[in-house]
Amino acid sequence: MSTDTTTDRPTREISVTVNGEEVTAEVEPRLKLSDFLRNYVDLGSVRVGCEHGVCGACTVSVDGDIAKSCLMYAVQLDGKEVTTVEGISEAGSLHPIQEAFHEEHALQCGFCTSGFIMSAREFLAENPDPTRAEIKAALADNICRCTGYQNIFDAVERAADNMEGD
Amino acid sequence: MSQTGEAGTEAEAEADVETDDGTFVGTGLNRVEDHRILTGEAEYIHDITPEGCLHMALLRTTHARADIVEVDTSGAEAHPECELVLTGEDVAAEYNPMPSGLSGIEEWALARDSVKFVGEPVAMVAAPDRYVAEDLLDMIDVAYDTQDPIVDPVDARRDDEVVHEGLGTNVPDEEEFVFGDVDAAFREADTVVENQYSWGRISGVPLETAGVVAEYDTERDRFDIDCNIQLHTLVDDTVYEPLGYDPGDVSLSVPPDVGGSFGTKIAIHRYCVLAAIASKKLDGTPVKFVEDRIENLQGGDMHSSDREYLVRLACDDDGTIRGLDVNFVDDFGAYPRYPVNQTLKPLAVLTNAYDIEHVRYNYELVLTNKTAQTAYRGFGVPPHLYALEMAIDEAAREAGIDPYELRQSNLIGPDQVPYTLPSNNVYDSGDYPGALAELKDTVEREERTEGGLLDPEVVTQQREEGKYRGVGYSVHIEPGVSGSDWTDRQRTDRETLAERSREDVAELPEYLQGSVDEDGTVVVYLATDTSGQGHQTILKQLLADELDLLPSDIEVSYLDSAEAPTEYGTAASRMAVMLSGAAQGLAGEFADNFERLAAAHWDVDRTDVSYRDGAVHRANSDETLSLADLAAIDEDYQESLTAAEYAYDHPASDVEAFDEAFTQKYPVYPTAAFAANAPIVEVDIETGAVEILKFYSLRDCGTQLNPTIVEGQAMGGLAQGIGAALLEEFSYDDSGQPQAITLFDYLLPSVTNVPEMELLHTETPSPFTPTGAKGTGEGGMIDGPASIAVAINRALEPFDVVVDEIPATPHRLRRKLRDADE
Repeated sequence: MSTDTTTDRPTREISVTVNGEEVTAEVEPRLKLSDFLRNYVDLGSVRVGCEHGVCGACTVSVDGDIAKSCLMYAVQLDGKEVTTVEGISEAGSLHPIQEAFHEEHALQCGFCTSGFIMSAREFLAENPDPTRAEIKAALADNICRCTGYQNIFDAVERAADNMEGD
Repeated sequence: MSQTGEAGTEAEAEADVETDDGTFVGTGLNRVEDHRILTGEAEYIHDITPEGCLHMALLRTTHARADIVEVDTSGAEAHPECELVLTGEDVAAEYNPMPSGLSGIEEWALARDSVKFVGEPVAMVAAPDRYVAEDLLDMIDVAYDTQDPIVDPVDARRDDEVVHEGLGTNVPDEEEFVFGDVDAAFREADTVVENQYSWGRISGVPLETAGVVAEYDTERDRFDIDCNIQLHTLVDDTVYEPLGYDPGDVSLSVPPDVGGSFGTKIAIHRYCVLAAIASKKLDGTPVKFVEDRIENLQGGDMHSSDREYLVRLACDDDGTIRGLDVNFVDDFGAYPRYPVNQTLKPLAVLTNAYDIEHVRYNYELVLTNKTAQTAYRGFGVPPHLYALEMAIDEAAREAGIDPYELRQSNLIGPDQVPYTLPSNNVYDSGDYPGALAELKDTVEREERTEGGLLDPEVVTQQREEGKYRGVGYSVHIEPGVSGSDWTDRQRTDRETLAERSREDVAELPEYLQGSVDEDGTVVVYLATDTSGQGHQTILKQLLADELDLLPSDIEVSYLDSAEAPTEYGTAASRMAVMLSGAAQGLAGEFADNFERLAAAHWDVDRTDVSYRDGAVHRANSDETLSLADLAAIDEDYQESLTAAEYAYDHPASDVEAFDEAFTQKYPVYPTAAFAANAPIVEVDIETGAVEILKFYSLRDCGTQLNPTIVEGQAMGGLAQGIGAALLEEFSYDDSGQPQAITLFDYLLPSVTNVPEMELLHTETPSPFTPTGAKGTGEGGMIDGPASIAVAINRALEPFDVVVDEIPATPHRLRRKLRDADE
C-alpha cells in the first residue's frame, strides 16, 4: 500500500514502538493495525486470515497483551508498544517456542504459525508451568487448518519445559 | 523460476541425519520449510506487492438469481483515485468465457446478462489501495430484475425453471453403472435395507485465501502472474484460454509457500484472469487481489460435495452382504468446476473395504443458484464412505448382528489382495480384518477396563447424567495416485469408449528437472506447487538416497507454468508415489550423464567409470570427479551433462490389472492406503452436543517416506474430518442466501474440538509403487466423518437414533432425540 495519497483523505500522525523501534507514520483512521504492520512497517509475519477476529493468524502483542490486529485500528496504537514474531528473537536464531514448533512438526502450511507463536509466548510468560487443560484454553482463540492441533499442543508443552528457569 | 525459499544453514545441517541403515527416506527428517515460516520470512501471495501496484476489488451481487438490467459505473469513474472499472460487457468485448466443467454452460469472469448465485462478481475496480477500491464499489449502481432462485436440488430436477436457459435442464449429467447381477442379488437376499443420507455442503477453507498479482508485459505482449492457484502447470488453461493467449505467454508462478489449499485453490482462475485483464488495460501496471474471508466463503468458487443419498443393501440373515445400490443427487451450484470427476471418483473405492460383488451406482448432477463446487480433500469420496457405512450400520441393526461382527465378516481378506473391485480399480495390499481386529483389541484393553473411557461403571454413571458414550469400529480405503484421462469420461462418446484400447490412454506423468551448480549443489525443480505438504523435504530425502548425497547438497525449487510441461502435480494424494518414481528416474539420468562426462574428460571407456557416493570414480585408479568438478568440466564441454530431466509415467502403467479401468475410463487409483478407526464419542442428550473423547486410528500408507509428515497429514486430515462430521456447513435459506459467510457461521474446528489422537501405524508396502509408498494426503478427511458417525450411532443405540445428516450438529441430534422420546 502506498503511503502518499492523491486525495485529501483524513490522516492522523501516530507514533508506535514496533519491536523496540519507534515508528512514526501518517495513517488514515480506518487503517487496520494488521494492514499498518504489514504494509507500513513491512512485518510479513502478521498474517491476515479472516479480518473478523476468529482465526487469530494476525495475533500480535500490544503492551504485553495479545491482540488480534485485524480488530484494532492503527490509530489506537499511538504511544503503545507492539511486538511481532520478527521481534521475539535475534536475527538468524529461533525463540524456544519457534524451536519447539519445528521439533514437534507443529506447522504445515504455516499461515497460522505466527499467531500461535504470539499467543503461546504471551501465555507462557504468564504461566510458565501450565497444565494441559490450561494450554488448551490458551490456544482456543487460534485456528489451524492443517495440523490437527496435537503437535501445536505438544510444541507449547515442550517450549514450557525448555524455557523453565528462563 | 521461483525462489527456493530455502531454510538457513541451521536447518540444513540438522537435515543430514540418516536412518540406521544409512538412508534418509524413512526418517522423520525435520522439515526444511519451517525456518522461513517460523521467522516470518516466508513470502505468501499476500506478501508480494510490486512497486506501484494497484489493488483490485470486486462488486458481488447479493441476489441468487436475477437479470442484470443496467450497470452504472459513472459514480466510481468520477472518483479521483479510480484507475479502472470493468463490467461483464467490457470483458466479453475482448476476451473469452472461462472454461466450464460441463459443455453448454457459459461463464464469464464478470457476470454479463444475469447473476446466478449470491457473491457472483459483477464489476471490478482498481485503485491505489484496497480501502479505496472497496469505496469505489459503493459507487457502482446495478439494477436487477430478480427472480425466485432454484435452491432445492431434489426439486430442481423437475426443471420447472432452469438455472441455465441455454442448457434447458438442471440435470446436465447423470449416469448409471451396473456391475454384476444386481437385480438377482436383491431378489435373492433375505433382507433389503434402504435409507436416505444427507451430506452437507462443506469445503477446505484454507487459512490463506486466494490471491494474485498480475503484470502485463507491454513489450512482449505476455503476462507474468504470481498466484496461489493449485496445480498451476495443469490448470493454466483456465487462465490463458479466457485471456486468449498461448500457454507460453501466460506464465503462472506460485510462491514456495501457500497457506493451505486442500484442492480448493484449483479453481481461482477468475481472479487471475481479471487481474491480468486489468494490468493490460492499465498498460502493464501490476494489479493485486487477495480475497477477503467473506468473499472466500460465499463466492470463492470453492464449496464442495453437497449430496442426498439413497442407499440399499441386500443382506442375508447371517450378515452376508450380497449387493449394494447407491443413488445420489449432487448439488453443484451454478457453475460446476470438476463435476463428473467428483461424482465418479467413489468408483475407485466403490465397496470401501467390503467384498461385495453386485453393485449399482447411479448419480444425478444438479445445478442450482448456489456457489460453484470445486475440489476438496477426498474429491467426492468422503460422502460415499459415510453413506455406505451408515447403510452397513442399518443392515446390522436389521439383522440383529453386532456391527463390528458384520463388518468383519464382509471385509476383503488379506488372501484376496490385490483385489479388483467390480468397478475395476485394484486395491494393492493390506490386511483390513487384521487391522480392525488389532485396533479393537487395543481399544478394549486400554479403554473398556477400569479407569478407561469405556469402563462399564463410568459409562453407566455418565448415562445417569444424560451423557451417552460409544465407540464405533470401521475400516476405510483411501484411493491414491490418480493419473490418466478418466477425468474426461463425460465428454467421451460411449461407442468410442467401447472400442478404446490401452494404447489410447493418455497418462499424466510427474516431471522433474535438475542441474548442478558450480559448488556441486544439485538444484531440482518441481513442476508443481506446494501448500504445506513438505515436498521440498521429501524430495531432498529421496534424491539424497538415490544420488548418495546429503539432503543439504540438494536444493528444491519450482518451475512456472510456461517453463514446465503440462503436468498433473499435487492432487489425488499423488506426490509421495509420483516423486518416488520421478526421483529414481532423475537420479538415473543424472548418474548416466555424469559418467558420460567423466569418461569424455578422462578419455576412457564408459565402462571404466562409475558414479557412487556423490562422485564419479575411475576404475583402477584413485581419481574421482566431484559434482563441483563435473560442473566445471561441463562448463568447458558445453554439453549440459550436469543437467537432467525425467518424467515418471504412473505406477499403474505397467500393471495389467488396471488395463480395463484405464481403457473404459473408470477412476484408476493404484494405491489403497487404509485406516481402521475407533473414535470414542460422548453425546449429551440434553443438548445434542457430541464430544469426541479420544480418536484411535490404525493407519497404513505403505512405506512411510517421512513418518513425521505422514502423521501430520493424518492428524490434520482427521481434524478436517471432525469439522465435516460435527461443525461445518455452507447452508442456504429458501431465498438462496448463504448462511455461512463468516467464520462465526462456518465453524472450523479449534483445539477444543479436536481430541487426543491415538495413532498406530503399520507399513504394508504397495507392490505397485517404486518405494512401496501409498498416497496419503487425504486420509483423515476421507475416513473421519464416516467413522465418527458410526461411533455416534453406537452411543445413541438406546434411542434408536442414527446419523442420517452430516454435519451431526447439536440441533439435528437434539431434534432426533426429541422425536425418539415421543
